[in-house]
Parts: sequence; C-alpha cells; structure tokens
Amino acid sequence: MNSPIVKRRSFLTGTGALAALAILTACGNKPDVESTGSTSPVRGGALTFLIQGFDAGWISSKTSISSYEGNLWGHLTDKLVYVNEKGDVNPWIAESWDENSDATEFVLHLKKGVTFSDGTAVDAKAVVENINAWAVGDADRGIAKVGLFPSASFESAKATDAATVKVRFSSSTLGFIATLGYHGCILLAPATLKSSTEEQADLAKNIGSGPFMLKSWQQGESYVLQRREDYAWGSKALGYSGPAYLDTLTYKVVRDASVRTSTVLSGQADVSFNVEPQEIDSLISQGFSVSTPRYLGFVDGFQVNTQTFPTNQASVRQALQHGIDRQEILSTIYTQDWQAASTFIQGTVPEAGDFADHFNFDLKKATDGLEKDGWTLESDGFRHKDGKLLEITIAANPYVPSDKAMDELIAQQLQRVGIKLNLKVIDVANYSAWQNNEPPLLHTSRSFVDVGTVAGILTNRNGGEDWFKLGDSDEKLNKLSDQIAQAKNRKDRAKVANEQQKYVLDQAYFIPLVQLVQRLYLSSPKVQGIQYNGLAYANFYTAWVTQ
Amino acid sequence: MGYTVSVRLSGYRNLVLSRLGQGVLVIFLAYVLSFIVVSVLPGDAITNALHDPQSGLSEEDIARIVAFYGLDKPVLIQLLLALGRFVTGDLGISLQSGLPVTDLVFDALPSTTFLALTALILALVLAVAIAVGVHLLPSGAAGILRSVPSFFLSVPNFVIGLVLISVFGFTLHTFTITEPNAPVATFFAALTLAIPVSAPLAEVLISSLDVEARQDYALVARSRGLSRVNVFAQHLLKPSALPSVTMVALLIGEPLGGAVITETIFGRNGVGTLVQRSVGAGDQPVLLAVVVLSAVVFVLVNLIADLSVPLLDPRTSVTKKKKAVVS
Repeated sequence: MNSPIVKRRSFLTGTGALAALAILTACGNKPDVESTGSTSPVRGGALTFLIQGFDAGWISSKTSISSYEGNLWGHLTDKLVYVNEKGDVNPWIAESWDENSDATEFVLHLKKGVTFSDGTAVDAKAVVENINAWAVGDADRGIAKVGLFPSASFESAKATDAATVKVRFSSSTLGFIATLGYHGCILLAPATLKSSTEEQADLAKNIGSGPFMLKSWQQGESYVLQRREDYAWGSKALGYSGPAYLDTLTYKVVRDASVRTSTVLSGQADVSFNVEPQEIDSLISQGFSVSTPRYLGFVDGFQVNTQTFPTNQASVRQALQHGIDRQEILSTIYTQDWQAASTFIQGTVPEAGDFADHFNFDLKKATDGLEKDGWTLESDGFRHKDGKLLEITIAANPYVPSDKAMDELIAQQLQRVGIKLNLKVIDVANYSAWQNNEPPLLHTSRSFVDVGTVAGILTNRNGGEDWFKLGDSDEKLNKLSDQIAQAKNRKDRAKVANEQQKYVLDQAYFIPLVQLVQRLYLSSPKVQGIQYNGLAYANFYTAWVTQ
Repeated sequence: MGYTVSVRLSGYRNLVLSRLGQGVLVIFLAYVLSFIVVSVLPGDAITNALHDPQSGLSEEDIARIVAFYGLDKPVLIQLLLALGRFVTGDLGISLQSGLPVTDLVFDALPSTTFLALTALILALVLAVAIAVGVHLLPSGAAGILRSVPSFFLSVPNFVIGLVLISVFGFTLHTFTITEPNAPVATFFAALTLAIPVSAPLAEVLISSLDVEARQDYALVARSRGLSRVNVFAQHLLKPSALPSVTMVALLIGEPLGGAVITETIFGRNGVGTLVQRSVGAGDQPVLLAVVVLSAVVFVLVNLIADLSVPLLDPRTSVTKKKKAVVS
C-alpha cells in the first residue's frame, strides 16, 4: 500500500509544483470587481481572511504575540497606546500620560466611557489588573508574564482615581509606554484575567473592549467576529474612532498556502496571510495587492556565539561579516519589497542608524583576515587551521519561511571565502532544542516596540538573554547596555544606541542579512483601508469592502 | 442436535470473550507505546510555544510554567498519572490550546467520520463500476479499464485533491473552499480519498470475478443459455464479493490516514488536521487520545469482521476447531 513517509515527502514538493497550476487556473478569472479607487469608506459588508491555523489556542498570555492568534486578539481587544509602523507612540485607551524626570514613575490618564463587551468599565482598576498580569503573570496558574514587559524594574501599579493609574519602577524605564502598544499587552476584562487557564482557553470566555466581538466559532475551522455597534474609542492615529465599517470579519483556516492564494484569486475570499516572495510580482500584475509591512525589531540575521568554535575567533566572525553579499541575497531571494539592512535593527525603529559600511561585502577583507590568522586554503576548497576544518552548521529559522532559500545562497557565498556552511532544516517542535545547543550562528526573529529592549537582551546584565554568550566579559558592551537601560531621556539614549550598534557590528557579534518581513498579506482589489501597526499586524478595523 | 447448538454457542461465546480481551489489551498497549514514543521526542507543546524567539521569556519563566503542567516530572511518573486519568475516562487538557482533549476530539470526529464513510461508499461504487465494466465491456475497452486501478494507486492523494479543487472549485465554481463542510465540497474531498482506496478493492473484485468465471458452474450456466449479464448478476457477483468484504475491513484505516492530507488541502477541521497540529506541537494528550481512538476503531472493525465470518460462512464454523468439546 502507499507508504505514508513517501507520501508526505512528495506532498511537500508536490504542493509547491501544483501551486503554480492552481494559480494559473485561477488566473483565468479576472477579479469580479475592478478597483474603484474610491477613498470614502463604505459601511457594511463582510471580509474573509484566510490564515494557516489557530493551533496555539486562546490563552491570551500564550498566544497574543503569535502571528496567527495575535491578529484575532487585535480585533477583539484594545491596547493602552497605539504604536504605528514608524515606531511613534500614540494615545488610545490611555488618552495621555506623564512621566517623571528620571522615567521611574508614569501616570496614565484613561479615556472615559470605554467598556468591555460584557458591559464592565475599562477603568483604572481594570487597567491595574491587566498591568499586573503582563508584568508578573501567575506561574502557579500556568499563566506566563508578557515576555517584553520591563518586569525586572517593575514595582507597582495603582489606581489613584477611576481614570488614573500610577505605575512605579525601581529604575529608569523609558520603554514602558511604548511597551503598552506591544501585541502582548491587550486589555482583557478582570473576570477573564481571574478565570482558570481552562476557561481562558475557551475563546468565548475572553472579553475585550475591541471593535469586534466573537459571534461564532468552530474550533480549528472558522471564527466569525461581529462589529460592536457602540464602539467609539479607536485610536486617533488610525484617523477614525467610531464603530468598524465591516459587519463581520471572518477568519477561515486554510492550511495550504497555494490553496489560500488561489482562493483569494478566484474571489472566494478577500485577504490571505503569507504568500511566497517569488509569487508577488505575478499577483500584483493581476490587480491584487501584496503588503509586506516590516515590524519594529531586529533584522533577519545571525546572533554569533563568541564562546564556541569557530566563531570564538575574531577572524572567523569578520570573515562572515564581510564575506556575505547581501545585495545578491536581496536580488536573488526577494523582491523590491524587501530592504537591505542598515544595522542590526529594522530601519523603522527610530533609533536605527545607517551603518551599512560597517558590514559591507568585501571578499578581500574576509579572506585576508583568515589568511593572517592561519586559516589556509586546502585542496578540498575549504580553510583549515591546526588540522581543523572551518565549518559551521546553521539551521533555518522555522518561523521565517524564506530563511531556507537564503541560507542556501549564503552557503554558496561563504564557499568563496573557504568557509563550509552545513545547512539543517529543523521544524518548530525541535527548534528550541537547537537554540539550547548554543550553535555558533543562530537566526534571529524578534520584534520589539522600544529600543531599550536591545540593551536588555544582548548581554546578561539587567536579566538579559546574553545573545553573544559574552557574559559580562565585554566591558564596552556592558557600559553601553547599562547606559541605554538607565537613560533618562530618549535623545541621550538614541546616541548611545547608535554607539552600541556600531560596536556590535564592528565586533561582528551580530551579522545582519536583510530587513525582516515575517508577515505578508495578499488582498483583493475590493478591500480598502487596511492599516498595519508597528508589529506588522493587519488591522481590519478601518477596512471596508467595495461592492 | 440441541447438544451441538449449545456447544456451538458456548464456543462462540468463548471466541467473543477472547477477542474482546485481546482488543482491550491492544488498546492498552497502543496507549503505553505511543506515550513512550511521544515522550522520547524532543520538546513538548508548552516548551515549544514559550521558546518562540518572539516570546522573549527567560529560562526561569519557562521552567515555572513547564512545572505547572507537570512536564518536569520523570516520564514514568507522567505515564502513571496519565494512565490513572485515562482509566477513569479523563483524557486531560491539550497542552497546546488548553482545551479539554475530549472536546477537541469530538469537535473533529463528526467531520472525519462523515468524510471517511462517504469516501468508503464512493470507493465501493467506483470499484464495483470498474469491475463490472471489465467483465461486461468489449475486450478493448475492458483492457483499458483494467489498468485504471493501477493508475488510481499511482497518483498521490494531494495531486488528486489539488486538481479537483483547481478545476471544480476555482474554475467551474462548483464549490467554495471557504465552506468546506457543504455537501458538494465534502463530495470532492471524499472523492480525493476514494480514488486511491477504490484501486485495491477493484483489483480484488476483478481477480475474484476472473476466478469465478472460470469455475464449472459458470460454464454450466452459460451452456444453459444464460446471457453474459445474467450469469454475471445471478451467479458470479455474490461469491466474488466475499474477499472484498475482508478487503473493506482492511481498508477502513485508509481514509483515516489519508484524511491528514485531504483535510489540510480542503480546509476541513477533522481528526487528520488534529493529528497534524498535535504532532507538530508535541501535544501529547491529544496525540494519545487520537491513537487510542484509532486503536478502538480498528479493534471494533476487526472484531465485527472476525465475529461475523463464522456466522455467515458455515465452512469456518468454530465447532470444527473445538474437537475436545465434541468428544
């Protein structure tokens, strides 16, 4: 009988090949409605968004940051502030805020009259309970804190009156306000926060104050959200604050990417999540739009382990930094929607500098450095030193689909330098074990809303993640990290952040590759008014469908 | 006479009891073995989710949550705890979604059952149609038809599915992908499953028809002037169907296995997609529930087949084997 193993393997290659067929067939049908180019929103209508799965479930502390569940959470709930795609922090449920001179105490002034969909008020008391949940979580109930929340310095949150919340930190925490716009920090009704994980797993029991409410859902199949008629507190940054234009917003799970794309092309759905970069040009030429918003955060690149062979040697790190031709990667793997990295954080982060010349492609510099350090080219085409082959094993990041193709090209490029790159493909289930192995090079995909996060995670100071395994051995990096963490105003912090970027690039602790686009959206010309926030989430609150 | 009947009945009762006992043992072993296999695999649903580079949680944060779910305990202790719950009918909570496993399985089960049954019926219809065609059509057409089952077997499931979607869904608009449970969409999903399943059935039917057609009684029937169609319908079809009944019991697992791919392509939420996502995430309680469920289905189907054969076919009567009872 049919071997399931062969079937599955050929399934993967086959779907790719057949995607072309499916798209070709669908191409025959012109979209039903030509783009009207109308700019005035139309009320009413239904929008269907195809997504590959809602597998992680609905415990908000676990899934509000997911690319999939996170999108639905964004429509059921509101946040205190809105961070736009440029990293600007705008008022939302927090109408305004004050901070003291050393950024240790913040006062949030809340919008009045905001309610959760169960009728309870989004008041200071509710906000305090939410902030505590984000900062501390409740491990005894299996509820994690929000990863990016500045918990290390968090002291307390107090309601001083019905619409005012005072938050205190033990040291300067400039990133606090921006973090409130992070997708982990969604406002939920106090009743939801108090409920057990089993109750929170039931989407219907999660109550938010967002522009949509849950109408019906079929686990793992479809989720229908319905407009909340009395919604009147959208962030001004979106240019609109009334009830959503759409009557309903329906999420449909379609796991196969080529079927998702073809479904939108055939007019059976309006928007689809994630298409392959190489399909974009053909889709656009057929009148569809593909959005490639970049999130605020780190670029796609390698964090380098400075303690393991062979990246513990400066010459090898430099050879990697200057031996990779990023322009060739952009033109081969990606379309013009992708942008070259100018530092190791995305260009949309306000504090990102242009330090491309610190990691320019320079084959001679790469090979000379290795040569000088005693790495000699041998007959196998690779370099050796003390009888050891210069080889590194890397694994494509399973959270970034285009990494695999990019890694293959990088392996070819580094062969010219004499470095042997072994490629591994690891699925999500095994990726954490790979990370725990502390490999020489690790692909990074990480968003953040405030540049202060960078200081927090590069070293092991301030409870950091010690990305480069330096511990506290690099005094200059420690000093720069401390200065960022303790900065009392944003201007000074931006200056130090630039210093830090140059230093990390010069030491080749981080090897940037390309600005990361992890979330792509294909939409029909009938759909207008989708907006993207700083985390590259599509927001359908202001969207409408022309008929 | 009365004595023989009672011997036959008590023999039959023993057969039922021993088969039932074997069934329970199979289910228990399936549970324990899959528990061990899943435990040996790296990662679990909780650790995997929290290690997403996006989450930014420290190792200590993760360790506390993992401890809450009891995943830090030794595998043997976890197995005993899980077995204790399993015996009382508690399948636990999905590590991935936090939902009760029973809910997840019973949400997915009706869709897959309906799909698999439709597929089996379609496969039977296809197989019978092919076999009948081979025997009644003129030899040229019959020859072409004879090669159809091997063609059906050699085309992978997903190719059939994508072609059907592309032609009937996107070009002819016979059904929409966004309504996967509508009757027409279900029909095409079932057809995707039915085509490869019908092939071995058709092969068995064709060859047993060939055998029966060469038997003396068929020759006698023909010599008495019965037409080809009459001989086929009145004399050949019934005896040829017996091997196919056994084949159907063996094939019942095929639509369940194929459901993983078919449900994925057609956007259906069923046992197949449930398996796919719980394997991907290492969601042990859900995986175990599905393994046990499949074991129960197989045990039941085989039990029915085993127990009905002695009742239907006198040649396989149980009393023959029980010589000791007769003496």
